[in-house]
Amino acid sequence: MKIYQYDKSAALFRRAAKVIPCGIYGHFSPTPCVPVSAYPFFSERTEGAKFWDVDGNEFVDYMCAYGPMVLGYHHPVVDEAYQAQMKLADSNSVASPKMVELAEFMVDMIPVADWAFFAKNGADVTNYAAMIARAATGRNKIIAIAGGYHGTTPWMQAAGHHGTIDDDLTHIRRIPWNDFAALERVVAEHPNDVAGFIASPYHHPIFVDNEMPAEGYWQKVQQFLKKNGIVFIIDDVRCGFRLHMGGSNELFGFKPDLICFCKAIANGYPISALVGTESLKNAAAKVFHTGSFWYSAGPMAAALACLQELKRIDGPKILADQGKKLLAGMVEISKAHGYHLQVSGAPSMPYLRITDDASLMLHQQWCAECTRRGAYLTSHHNWFVSTAHSDEDIQRTLEIADDAFKAVKQAR
Amino acid sequence: MNESLIKAYLNLHAVFQNLEDLVKFDEPMAQLIRDWDLTVEFVVRNGPSAFVEFKNGVCRHGPTAHDNPTVRLYFTSAGHLNRMFDGKATPIPLKGFLRLGFLKREFAQLTDRLTYYLRPELGKPDDESYVKLNTILTLQTALYAVKVLGMLEPTSKKIAAHIPAGALQVEVLPAGPCLHLVFDKGGISVAKGPAKQPMAKMAFKNLQVANALLTGKMDGFLAVANGDVVLQGQLPMVDNLNLILDRVPRYLA
Repeated sequence: MKIYQYDKSAALFRRAAKVIPCGIYGHFSPTPCVPVSAYPFFSERTEGAKFWDVDGNEFVDYMCAYGPMVLGYHHPVVDEAYQAQMKLADSNSVASPKMVELAEFMVDMIPVADWAFFAKNGADVTNYAAMIARAATGRNKIIAIAGGYHGTTPWMQAAGHHGTIDDDLTHIRRIPWNDFAALERVVAEHPNDVAGFIASPYHHPIFVDNEMPAEGYWQKVQQFLKKNGIVFIIDDVRCGFRLHMGGSNELFGFKPDLICFCKAIANGYPISALVGTESLKNAAAKVFHTGSFWYSAGPMAAALACLQELKRIDGPKILADQGKKLLAGMVEISKAHGYHLQVSGAPSMPYLRITDDASLMLHQQWCAECTRRGAYLTSHHNWFVSTAHSDEDIQRTLEIADDAFKAVKQAR
Repeated sequence: MNESLIKAYLNLHAVFQNLEDLVKFDEPMAQLIRDWDLTVEFVVRNGPSAFVEFKNGVCRHGPTAHDNPTVRLYFTSAGHLNRMFDGKATPIPLKGFLRLGFLKREFAQLTDRLTYYLRPELGKPDDESYVKLNTILTLQTALYAVKVLGMLEPTSKKIAAHIPAGALQVEVLPAGPCLHLVFDKGGISVAKGPAKQPMAKMAFKNLQVANALLTGKMDGFLAVANGDVVLQGQLPMVDNLNLILDRVPRYLA
């Protein structure tokens, strides 16, 4: 099997390093890619479930732009809707009718939603949700799950991170996942001062196995928060529309007050959304929250087309089916090589880990060998499956996985 | 815990342990202590203690009081100790009065030499052997400081609480130094040498890279992307280690 080289990527990175902090920052930073030499840094072209890097290497992409790509790159329905809107108007001096159409569609499709609000990134709407919770309750504290990620604004970062101060976390309390007693305890410790509780529909931190909600957990949480007048916020930024078109909470049988969406909402076009219940609409109206590009009509048209298409084809079912095929094959191959591949999370966005080495070094080695053979996947983050991942793509990936295990065994 | 007390712990437990390697790697200091046979203990009221023992040409540092030191030096406060480290105060000898001349002459020579190697502005940053020892001692100071801060400083304690249990190995290739930290439910230990089963590794390509990173002349993210620093394993350990490392200069400029 051909082993990829990344000379142009490396050269471009050297240029980037001169003019951009970190060269490549944030979640695209090469830092968690181990070893960095196994990974491309820059892509030139995308199509379907694949991208081609600047060295011309072809990859079946299991990171899907870290979630936004859900129907496949350059999906014709979404791209045509976007282009058609761009010919009419994008950024403008007044709002676009597309915003109303999109809001109506989401309110119609998502059981919890009585209204929708649009922004650009996930953190725009997680921040907005917290502000609404505080505005609605007149309280200060926000409870979140330890290890949960809701964006990079200071109040959601862990203590000691650069650019944050200890006071940023004064009103944030973190509790363990699936620990209902901890939620009760923290609320009791702060009587009438907890404004909101924010969590993802299931626990999907990086570097560790993902965890599903315990039986009855969400139902107890919903009831408890309602009883105590605490706003229930679900951060569905990563899972949204990959598990259920009505919001991932529908899969788990509960109803939050606010749901944050981003990533898969527009198949890669930049837009996020917060939807909520009627009871919070007035508070949402009072909170001033906006951005220069939050009214761009092109991404709204793309979102409408993407959601309609996902609904039409039952996207979440396709994603789950393709994910299961991929994972069953991978587990079987790993077993044949004498390794145990642990799968956690949803099949459409699984987190995998070779458990034979708790340090993750073995897993990192295998992911690196897969990537340098043409299956782009990281070792620290959950992967993503798109509806464009065909059976042929999966078969090709399994062949790569097999060869990568051989390489790992040989190296050890 | 106040800043002065944290600084006192850092001075006695992170900075002073370097005497062990100073006398090992710096020939003039090896000669200086060759025939010494004594133990100097430092005691801070309501604060840390430590000792350095010299015997058979070897120095041994201990982050505790000593049962029977040759010389016992007392400090009325953490600030008193810190001022001594800044050359602005003298200790109160409680034991070993006959050795006071030795402390002022030979022992001061040793500590001055340590300062010389830890402060590049006083040393020879273009000299290869200077850079080598400066790097070794700076790296050791930094990692021993992580233990102190992770156990005592409020923000670092919160950071350390997020570090997965296990050993994190830090080494300079190809020939060392190599140290490791062990994190275990809020407890932190540090030791020289490789870890038996590291959960994470951070390896600097060479002494020059390690020096540039430790002195803030190189961007750590770029160093990783360029392959000058190789990370492996449980990277959250490395991420959180770096957050604590970045707090060290707040106390040890």
